[in-house]
Amino acid sequence: MVRWIPGNGEEESLLLKSLGLGSVEELFRDIPEKARIRKIGLDPPMSEMQVVREVDRLLAKNRTLEEFDAFLGAGLYDRYTPAVVDGILQRSEFYTSYTPYQAEASQGVLQTLFEFQSLWVELTDMEVANASLYDGATAIGEAMLMARRLSPGHRFLLPSTLFWERRSVLENYAPRTDMEFVEVPCDPKTGRLDLGFIERESRRDCFGVLVEYPDSLGILQQDLPKVKAAIGDRPLIVSADPLALTILEPPGNWGADIVVGEGQGFGVSSSFGGPLLGLIACRHRDARMLPGRIVGATADGAGRRAFTLTLQAREQHIRRSRATSNICTNQTLVSLAFLAYATAMGPKGLAQLASELASRGQELAKALREVPGLKAPLVEAPFLWEFAVGVEGRGTDEFLRSMFGEGVLAGSSLADPRPGARAPRFPGFLTSVGERTDTAAIDRYARAARKVLGSPTSGGAP
Amino acid sequence: MTFRQARWDEPLLWEVRPPREGAPEAHLPDSIPPELRRRKAVRWPELSELEVARHFTRLSQMNFGIETSFYPLGSCTMKYNPRVSEVLARRPGVADLHPYQPEESVQGILAILWELERSLGRITGLPHISLQIAAGAHGEYVALRMTAAYLKDRGETQRTEVLLPDTAHGTNPASAAMAGFTTREIPSKDGCVDLRALDAALSERTAAFMLTNPNTAGLFEEDILEISDRVHRAGGVLYYDGANLNAILGKTNPGKMGFDVAHLNLHKTFATPHGGGGPGDGALCAGDRLRDYLPVPRLERKGRKFHLSYDHPKSIGKVKTAYGNVGLLLRAYAFIRAHGEEGVKRVSERAVLNSNYLGQRLGEHLPRAFKPLVKHEFVLSGAPLRERGVRTLDLAKRLLDEGVHAPTVYFPSLVEESLMVEAPETESKRDLDAFVEAFLRALHDSPEHLREAPVNLSVGRVDEVRAARALLLSWRDLEKAGAQGAGGAAAGSAAHTGP
Ligand SMILES: Cc1ncc(COP(=O)(O)O)c(C=O)c1O
Repeated sequence: MVRWIPGNGEEESLLLKSLGLGSVEELFRDIPEKARIRKIGLDPPMSEMQVVREVDRLLAKNRTLEEFDAFLGAGLYDRYTPAVVDGILQRSEFYTSYTPYQAEASQGVLQTLFEFQSLWVELTDMEVANASLYDGATAIGEAMLMARRLSPGHRFLLPSTLFWERRSVLENYAPRTDMEFVEVPCDPKTGRLDLGFIERESRRDCFGVLVEYPDSLGILQQDLPKVKAAIGDRPLIVSADPLALTILEPPGNWGADIVVGEGQGFGVSSSFGGPLLGLIACRHRDARMLPGRIVGATADGAGRRAFTLTLQAREQHIRRSRATSNICTNQTLVSLAFLAYATAMGPKGLAQLASELASRGQELAKALREVPGLKAPLVEAPFLWEFAVGVEGRGTDEFLRSMFGEGVLAGSSLADPRPGARAPRFPGFLTSVGERTDTAAIDRYARAARKVLGSPTSGGAP
Repeated sequence: MTFRQARWDEPLLWEVRPPREGAPEAHLPDSIPPELRRRKAVRWPELSELEVARHFTRLSQMNFGIETSFYPLGSCTMKYNPRVSEVLARRPGVADLHPYQPEESVQGILAILWELERSLGRITGLPHISLQIAAGAHGEYVALRMTAAYLKDRGETQRTEVLLPDTAHGTNPASAAMAGFTTREIPSKDGCVDLRALDAALSERTAAFMLTNPNTAGLFEEDILEISDRVHRAGGVLYYDGANLNAILGKTNPGKMGFDVAHLNLHKTFATPHGGGGPGDGALCAGDRLRDYLPVPRLERKGRKFHLSYDHPKSIGKVKTAYGNVGLLLRAYAFIRAHGEEGVKRVSERAVLNSNYLGQRLGEHLPRAFKPLVKHEFVLSGAPLRERGVRTLDLAKRLLDEGVHAPTVYFPSLVEESLMVEAPETESKRDLDAFVEAFLRALHDSPEHLREAPVNLSVGRVDEVRAARALLLSWRDLEKAGAQGAGGAAAGSAAHTGP
């Protein structure tokens, strides 16, 4: 058994003695007999070494991204993190501390959060950021609820291309039965948004408009800077990729009211999907409507610069049922990872990484375009490191499975896997290049795709 | 012992070296539309690795952590975070997995999540689990969405009200409101649910009653079976806020107490680190009544294979990207495996023992709010301090000067000037005694010193009022305001600073 409970089994009797008790059971005498349990049913204790061996034994059954040519993304990325970042995260004052409610004892965490907020403001060209939300999908949900506070109306405009998972999360953040989703169509050939539709519908009882930058098919819609003019004072929510923002015109420059994003690719591994990082920023005038914790600069009694949580009157511990959100525990340490990663890379390093990935994305598309049976990209529109691919004549899932057999994780299906779910507007899969994607990997991908598509179907698919 | 925190006057990152201005230094592929290309590079400094490392290391030295300080924070369960978990969570076998990999390639991590689900099912008595929960509040929200779906299926859409005791944590009413319910707080009696007030509030409009047991006053709700009966007879769902589970492991469980659904804060009871405010990680545990509504995918086992199943027609769908905070779930798994049956039981025994001991000792100096027998935490009232012209807030700040964290203050609000103290099982008697000594030094210090505290930290009393007025929330705001401005009076606000 590990030694995480102090006193070698001897302190308990000292404590009991000073309480004048004979046994620890007396401390549980207020639990009614009928609610008692005798045992839990867990396994016997293990030593630390046994735990490590057991976990390693199980983890050995996984095949990591390293063992494949992996082209998975959809917001979650396998990127190299400079070692200095994890060194910072492993400072126990950062990873073991509590929420900095006691500001004087927590200037370290508070200052990093202030820097983190400043970074997200710089990336987006917005004015106010919070300290984090759970992830990019829930951040879209929170942004939608925030838009609802900012604007009257019952209808919410969202992209028809939105990834099913984000859409499902969003539906769960729209509990009020008086909210309605309206999908904004885009041209199936060029991916261009129907600006006329947006303009018309935004005037019909609409409280907000969501666009993605790039979208769930990887498309970089060139009309995005015109959306704000089309919708007037309805809140415009932009869900943006943080790395893309190092080379793209920031949404704050084209009229966004709220910018959200998924921050995992900056500083933490993909870890089978978590922890992630929800980013959100808005305009100063709307700061009081933001969900979650916010750090502000102030001073101590001697005039020394100091930081503290602020605008707490929005939050659940003060405002209870009228809070802007229920969020309490957030993703602070991942915010620190985001900040440390961006700083260790520097703006130049980030922009170079982004452009390199964007170039490799083009290279991959070029290679796949020549594979008979694939439509790559599915929509002929500008993209960065991700794009959708269509599979002609056979199921996407079957193709992806066969590619897996060839050692290639070609991408993630765009289809909602729930039985009976609506078929996706754009059937296919999303493929994504990463830092490990070199020309040889792209060649192997194309070769495997040719092989898979050239062979007769195995599973009796149409 | 005299404690002194580092005082580095550490510059902000952009003060270490100002960023250069200009276009991004990168060659973009032609495919990117010109109108979308960033004209100005992101304004952020270019620092060397040592500059980065030194900056953050210095900042870390201006922060308490579990390995430096005892955190007697009621409701937060700040226990030691085993180092081995940090090692395990960084293994490539978990860190380098993508959630959209084929199931066959992630059988190992699915096996771990499966075992974790089974353990949590046994611990709570509620066997149907979703780990797709980011934190406690998220679990509350998801459970209430499930409740709404359940009520809709039964045609009971008139049930629009969620009841909670007035001692409920703020996330409870906030989650209920966000999930589309109205809320009603029930006044407590002697710190516990008043059955008569509960009866008066229950009606055909009741959707759910949210409760934590032991409650936020540290008291075990002895009427729990009666409460559960009444809520069920009225047709409501009984929700367990699992933030206080550290008190009852192996003694009782939410299922046995009659709860229909529970969230667990794995970052409390199961020792995953709080990360300066997060990430947490949660689990939602349901009994038969709500299980069909749990988020998808649900983890299933077919023979020796694990499978992520989306075939749950009544499920509310997804509530978060992927499957939860897996890196943290692995840490919770390691904690449970290491402790095993005996160890997990000992966790609660020791936590309750520690808190009762501390309660007895501190109770000699400040009034205890309720009866002396508590579970994992207890509440003191700082009201007598008023006679000396000081407040609980001053005492809390003065405690920081001793190198220990302050208790949760001003929560629960039903106790005047409250201090809520929790002593998890990983604190030794020696550390508890040292805390008592520190507490007494603080308590008996002069009113001037109390009001001036803290003086041993990297900054003195922080002016929160000024922060809320000036609203300097980013670098840009600081620039506009002309850097840092002159010092103002330190006015301590008495906002609840707790869990
Ligand atoms: C009693 C209680 N309920 C709910 C919560 C919310 O949990 P979380 O912070 O994990 O969202 C907390 C803790 O912060 C709590 O103490």
